Amino acid sequence: MAAATPRIIVVGGGLAGLSAVIKIAEAGGKVDLFSIVPVKRSHSVCAQGGINSAKNLKGEGDTPFKHFDDTIYGGDFLANQTPVKAMCEQGPAIIDLLDRMGVPFNRTPEGLLDFRRFGGTLYHRTAFAGATTGQQLLYALDEQVRRFESEGKVQKYEGWEFLSAILDTKGACRGIVAMNLRSMELKTFPADAIIICTGGNGAIFGKSTNSVVCTGSAQAALYQQGAYYANGEFIQVHPTAIPGEDKLRLMSESARGEGGRVWVPKDRNDKRQPNSIPETERWYFLEEWYPKYGNLVPRDVATRAIHKVVYEHGMGLDGQPMVYLDVSHLAPERQHKLEGILEIYEKFVGDDPRKVPMKIFPGMHYTMGGLWVDFNQMTNIPGVFAAGEADYSIHGANRLGANSLLSCIYGGFVAGPKAMEYAKGLEPQQGDGGHAAELIRQQQYNNILLNNQGTENPFQIWRELGDTMTRHATIIRYNAGLREADQKIVELIERYKKINLSDKSQWANTSFAFARQLYNMLQLARVIVQGAELRDESRGAHYKPDFPERNDEKFLKTTKALYDDNSDAPKFEWEDVDISHIKPRPRRYDATA
Amino acid sequence: MATTASAPPATPQLKGVQPLRAGEGNSFLWRRLHSLTGIVPIGAFLIEHIVSNFEVVNGPLAYAQQVKFLNGLPLVRVLEWGLIFIPLLYHALYGVFIAVRGRTNVNVYPWAGNWMYLSQRVTGLIAFAYILYHVLTQRFMGVSLPEHPGLAYAKVQFELLSHWYAIPVYVIAMIATCWHFAYGIWLFAAKWGITPGNVARRRFGWVCTIGGAVLCIMGLVSIFTVAYSRPYSPEDVMPAQYDNVVAPTVPPQQ
Amino acid sequence: MPTTIEVEIKRQNGPDGTGAVENFSIPYRPNMNITSLLGEIALNPVTKEGKATTPITYDSNCLEEICGSCAMLINGKARMACSALVDKMLEEGGGKIKLAPLSKFPVVRDLAVDRAVLFENLKKVKAWVPIDGTYDLGAGPKQAPQIQEERYPLSNCISCTICMEVCPQFNDVTNFVGAATIGQAKLFNMDPSGSVLKEERLRALSGDGGVQECGFAQNCVQACPKGLPLTEAISDIGRDVFVQKVKDFFRA
Repeated sequence: MAAATPRIIVVGGGLAGLSAVIKIAEAGGKVDLFSIVPVKRSHSVCAQGGINSAKNLKGEGDTPFKHFDDTIYGGDFLANQTPVKAMCEQGPAIIDLLDRMGVPFNRTPEGLLDFRRFGGTLYHRTAFAGATTGQQLLYALDEQVRRFESEGKVQKYEGWEFLSAILDTKGACRGIVAMNLRSMELKTFPADAIIICTGGNGAIFGKSTNSVVCTGSAQAALYQQGAYYANGEFIQVHPTAIPGEDKLRLMSESARGEGGRVWVPKDRNDKRQPNSIPETERWYFLEEWYPKYGNLVPRDVATRAIHKVVYEHGMGLDGQPMVYLDVSHLAPERQHKLEGILEIYEKFVGDDPRKVPMKIFPGMHYTMGGLWVDFNQMTNIPGVFAAGEADYSIHGANRLGANSLLSCIYGGFVAGPKAMEYAKGLEPQQGDGGHAAELIRQQQYNNILLNNQGTENPFQIWRELGDTMTRHATIIRYNAGLREADQKIVELIERYKKINLSDKSQWANTSFAFARQLYNMLQLARVIVQGAELRDESRGAHYKPDFPERNDEKFLKTTKALYDDNSDAPKFEWEDVDISHIKPRPRRYDATA
Repeated sequence: MATTASAPPATPQLKGVQPLRAGEGNSFLWRRLHSLTGIVPIGAFLIEHIVSNFEVVNGPLAYAQQVKFLNGLPLVRVLEWGLIFIPLLYHALYGVFIAVRGRTNVNVYPWAGNWMYLSQRVTGLIAFAYILYHVLTQRFMGVSLPEHPGLAYAKVQFELLSHWYAIPVYVIAMIATCWHFAYGIWLFAAKWGITPGNVARRRFGWVCTIGGAVLCIMGLVSIFTVAYSRPYSPEDVMPAQYDNVVAPTVPPQQ
Repeated sequence: MPTTIEVEIKRQNGPDGTGAVENFSIPYRPNMNITSLLGEIALNPVTKEGKATTPITYDSNCLEEICGSCAMLINGKARMACSALVDKMLEEGGGKIKLAPLSKFPVVRDLAVDRAVLFENLKKVKAWVPIDGTYDLGAGPKQAPQIQEERYPLSNCISCTICMEVCPQFNDVTNFVGAATIGQAKLFNMDPSGSVLKEERLRALSGDGGVQECGFAQNCVQACPKGLPLTEAISDIGRDVFVQKVKDFFRA
């Protein structure tokens, strides 16, 4: 018999986490929300361009099924079709809900929602709030959660980091161990079910468009506890990012959605200011190669095209790995809709993109893979659910722009109620459900880390990990390089054991917390490179020049990595993809018909 | 050791600035009253005072007539206390209360609005100190002008000429008071939502600047007129008013 | 071009800990920002004098000025560390960069401070739209683009608390609520559905520490990294609160 009121823990306060919290609180459940940062500072704020939904307010005959088809086709048929279909069908209702929550979506003169175009579709399907849609959406959900919090229905634990799930003797989840990032105290928290909404793992690549907290640490911890990690090799490299010293800053696809064009001078030695180069002497390579979609091809396609122009044609600006993304020709009203991102560019680069073309290059952006979940968003560990970027379910081999916000909210909306349902049917735990044992395991880990007497600096290891991953596991992949990367990671794991923390204090010790995350990042990095090595084909964002074609016969399958304790390495299984609605067809964005 | 959390931790005590006391307390009322009294009646009185004083340019007799007219208003003592002294005292004391609670930071953020914030507090304190002195010496000490309006010009003239520092003090105080009043009107309009937009505030800023400058110039002209336009003469220019009263010497012997 | 960047950082090992200043000399690279500077220190936590020390504790997350985490005092002024470029700061600081925690909030450690008061204030003014539920209730109310144009800038508030830090009235004597919260109250009062709580928000903001404490120094609007129309919001809310109080007085 279960407790009268199910108690659910949600880990991560981005869009997916907050969506789940809202659903649970609304259904009368008790929720504890754990987040490393105050939830209003979650990485979802970085999403810029918009959120997809086939509302068909532009008279184009758009339908949820077309949205579904674009998503599956854009994801190169690797996504299980049943949940994707459900998401696309719920899209319009989710937009309406967000609108009711007060999200300041842009409007048409009649006062209806405005929609813009985005990559991988020919329809105006993307609702947007300027160029800071993720921020606006996150705030709307944050406000709803704050309301529940003030009514006592939600307890927030901001500044607490999830370390591991507590599993009982039958392997079911009974709570979590979390660390207070100020007092560094470890504590166990009981729960009937937990939902992991901890986003992507960009930090594994060193510099990415992701936030500092996007380490993938929680997913990796669960993977080491026996959860399947699926499709880890599918990493989205966003075609347009601003290269920076500390990170790569996203330049939204909406820049192209509003009419921005990508080009390089036809003469690689052209030293003129970009604005003084006449139209005829510019090479709009995306428009030339993909006449139908033009600048709005899916991200993997655009990224590879830019990569090709820079490295194969040697046409990068001033010999640097950069191309122009130009919005300077757009009318002021159009530029106004991009205000937020144009300001960011101006602040960080110093040039005014309203007047001068921006210099951009692809950068690691999104984790298509993630914790394996069933159609109820539950992982293979009973009671552990996952939603949002942390799970693998929606985007297949490549995510379409503006689908991530939708998938986060959809995932949370499914995971919340399903976790409640699961919790209601849960047998009561025996004894302490494994709480004491898990706490001791985590404390021992901390003690080892604190008392290590080595010479290694965790930030140095991280830097080397990032360099290796970016070199071998992003746009272009070779098996030899992936093997080299795996060996490097193994070396780094060995060196990790000799970490000597310069800060051993037990108060707000950020380098200690980071060192803990780093171990998980290293483990997950192996899942990525080994999964990539084993997939001898090219599909979506995963591209191997040695295997340039998609191979449905062998690889229309989900990669599932399982941690093997004895070898301290992943083991792989493959699972058939659900293709019950749309038959796989070749993915050719260069076709004109 | 195995600290299993069953109940959520109590809301941690916040240090530093405390959250809003939503809907509690009366500080809104007192603060708005402070703001309002600055305009009506104090500001209105200031205008009246400077305009009345400007009669000095027409000579001692005109000035005396103005003084006499004002003192002839019905219920003048009630008006004086109810519309001037009490509101002024409230405005001044609450103003000091406001000033000591602010943490000025123009040294770090030397922006125009921030300087004006500081200036409003400084000019307010100057005006307060000056007005205390001014009311004591001109209203409650020396010859009583309500009874001897004919001596008004001479009393002021003596005041200005008897100490080397008197004219600088009056000039500084005049500028400070007009500054405080002009910016006070601007602040009033901004805070009460009369000029919410930037354009409205900028335009109204000009109105306040010009209005304040006019007042200030009138006041300064009056000061210099009284002080220097004619030789000092302790003569009652309206002695006929008071048949049975012998004009006292101006000023009284200390 | 300098070869090293001289940085002076005010450190504090805990809320009640003692403060100490440490100097660092970081190899110069072009296009660095303050967060990458702090990352360099973490990579090699040694002071200028060669003394081993600990990495600096500070809040950061998105590094593109949208999450609001990394506000701190840079050369004495409150700014976002991610968008503060080293070249500019060096020029401004005369060849040296000084870092310190925000001064109006309790220090957690080093450059990290506790800004929970803002989130508490957002609860006090009920900064949300009280929707009936998340089930499908159809489209929301129509909204003229002009309303969206006015709401959107306010909705860009990143809760960095810089407007509060620079405000001379925001201190532990007045307990002023600060511009950010007032802006959010206006944002939700303008929403067709959010306006149902308008009166409650206005009454809340008439409490001690409410909108009346504003001294209109206008530092908030100068310092706001996202350019929010904060003084306009204060002005509008000031009027609305007054009208509400008058209404309440005559209705009571």
